[in-house]
Amino acid sequence: MWGIFLESVVIFKNYMGYHENHFLAGIYLFALLYLWLTEKDRRRRVLFVYAPTLILFLFFCPLFRKVFVRLMEDSETYYRLLWLLQMSIVSAYGLIRLMGKHRRIGLAAACLAIAACGDYVYDSEHISRAQNVYHLPQEAVDIVDMIEPEEGRITVLVPADLIYYVRQYSTDIELPYGREMLIARWDYYNAMYEAMEEAEVIDTPAFAKLAREYPCAYVILKENREIREPLTDYGYSVYGQVGEFVIYKDMTL
Amino acid sequence: MTAVITCIFWLLVIPFCIGLIPANFISAEKRSPGFALLSGYFGMWALFEIAAVPAVLWVEYDNFKVASAVFTVLTVVCAAAGTLLLYRNMKAGKPGLVKGNWRTGSRWRADRADNKDDICVRNERGSGARIKALAKGLFGGTGVEWLLFLILLGFQLYKAAAFASFDGDDAYYVVESLLAQEAGVMYRILPLTGGSTGLDVRHAMAVFPMWVAFVSVRAGVHATIVSHVVMPLVLIPLTYLLYYEIGRALFLRTPQTGADSGRVGPGREGRTHETVFRRENLPTFMIIMAVFQIFGNVSIYTNETFFLTRTWQGKAVAGALVIPALVWVFLQIYDKGVKNGRTEPGIWMLLVCVNMTAGVCSSIAVFLVCILTAVTTFCLAVAERDWKILFKVGASCIPNVVYMAVYVIMAYSYLL
Repeated sequence: MWGIFLESVVIFKNYMGYHENHFLAGIYLFALLYLWLTEKDRRRRVLFVYAPTLILFLFFCPLFRKVFVRLMEDSETYYRLLWLLQMSIVSAYGLIRLMGKHRRIGLAAACLAIAACGDYVYDSEHISRAQNVYHLPQEAVDIVDMIEPEEGRITVLVPADLIYYVRQYSTDIELPYGREMLIARWDYYNAMYEAMEEAEVIDTPAFAKLAREYPCAYVILKENREIREPLTDYGYSVYGQVGEFVIYKDMTL
Repeated sequence: MTAVITCIFWLLVIPFCIGLIPANFISAEKRSPGFALLSGYFGMWALFEIAAVPAVLWVEYDNFKVASAVFTVLTVVCAAAGTLLLYRNMKAGKPGLVKGNWRTGSRWRADRADNKDDICVRNERGSGARIKALAKGLFGGTGVEWLLFLILLGFQLYKAAAFASFDGDDAYYVVESLLAQEAGVMYRILPLTGGSTGLDVRHAMAVFPMWVAFVSVRAGVHATIVSHVVMPLVLIPLTYLLYYEIGRALFLRTPQTGADSGRVGPGREGRTHETVFRRENLPTFMIIMAVFQIFGNVSIYTNETFFLTRTWQGKAVAGALVIPALVWVFLQIYDKGVKNGRTEPGIWMLLVCVNMTAGVCSSIAVFLVCILTAVTTFCLAVAERDWKILFKVGASCIPNVVYMAVYVIMAYSYLL
């Protein structure tokens, strides 16, 4: 039970970003404590004081965690219980109560405190200027436009960089393996993935044989991908190039 | 242009008209266009659950087309019913179904009508005076705060439209929407690769991507564009509308009575001396909420991060919209005072719809809203010594119980 409790503590710390020196939780806990001490209306106490406190208690309760994980069959989503704390609403309400009549100065102080303790979401490495209206990398769009069949569907072998995007643009393109191979902790195995991504140098004969089993009408490789022998020696021809991606067409199909 | 008109129809007109149904069953002062639109959205998603989940589970071929047809009929009927209610109210001389109005004869109106300085009472002189009063309120008192909030909102919308946010889960959810749009089937094709698959019940019962697909089909726009561009432009303002309604419930109405405290300031004493019940606090609340969303990215797990980086996914909607909606509903349940101390039927309808929307968003969200509902109701029952509330709120969770029962049966049917 102690171990489960410690796991919950780690999840809480990760959620609140303590390891990256973010202290937004401090503002929330301060607001919660302030409401504990000052909120007089019993119905609002229920909503903004008792319920969040009880949920925090449940979150750290090992028995509750065991039940949650058993029911959901998923321990990775336990952190979502913290969504019920309603950090932003409780913090905003508590801070406004604290401001009293000093509204404008209080607002400025609150915003500064939130900005200082939080993290600017648009700084994320995952956010970048959209290259098109699909919000997908333009290279993925251009490649699919080149190879997409007029009728029916084809299987295409693409590098890991494109796996997330190709089928968001067209479901007529099928893949030998998908995103599941890129998540290490899911621990899937796929021989084609091993040959394509894990091998330091692509072993061309085995690679071509595997690709034809699906069969992959096109193989897309990064131009700097090391390969033992050129694919063109094994029945492929260079169909085109988009950015750093070279498109090979299987001429035997 | 057709796509824009269709989007306006399905994302504004239809939910608004549906929302007139619960609005008809609440007291006049709680009504607002915001209430109608929000409750309409939750009603619409609840209808989508009714149409789509059985189709996913029990219709093998063209299940998306079947679900779309049923959903279209249900929504159009409900929207027509809402419009009819509006018409009947207007005909009966009660125009407050949408905007909330003191002419509808509530006790609240009688209190306020004596106060000639009250901005709302003065507004009754006509639309000119109304506009003047609005401008005075906006630019004389809290205009700067509202302007600041609108800038923050506009900034978030600009970022949502002009910037792409990468999320690996899109390879599943967005592709599911696109498959439904292009192939007309739900959850029968493996989105990651394109192979056929058995039913993954955990994901299949959370049909939010199918609603996105429905909008895409009706608008004739690629589902990825609808997910990444249209949805944020709709869901972000909708979420702030919810926060606005929460703020209204928190700062414009005194607890217990449910009455609007109006402006409390020098020379105009309200019903309470507490500084929190002031109209001026509403924009302050909205700004803090907006700043919290922008700086809430302390980890990839927070609902603030989900809200602004994967707005179009069901779980983000659950965290940013559905769970706060429960807070909103509970604020209204507490806010008795108007009709003999009873919570109005419209609020219960809304609670049922919010609970059903949780199922549309994610299977885990159903469990989460049940926990929040149970904890809050238990505390409320103890605080109020009102044990009946346990049964009333419990009854509103019946759709969640049914959802979880179907989930368990489908997930473990192989054991039978």
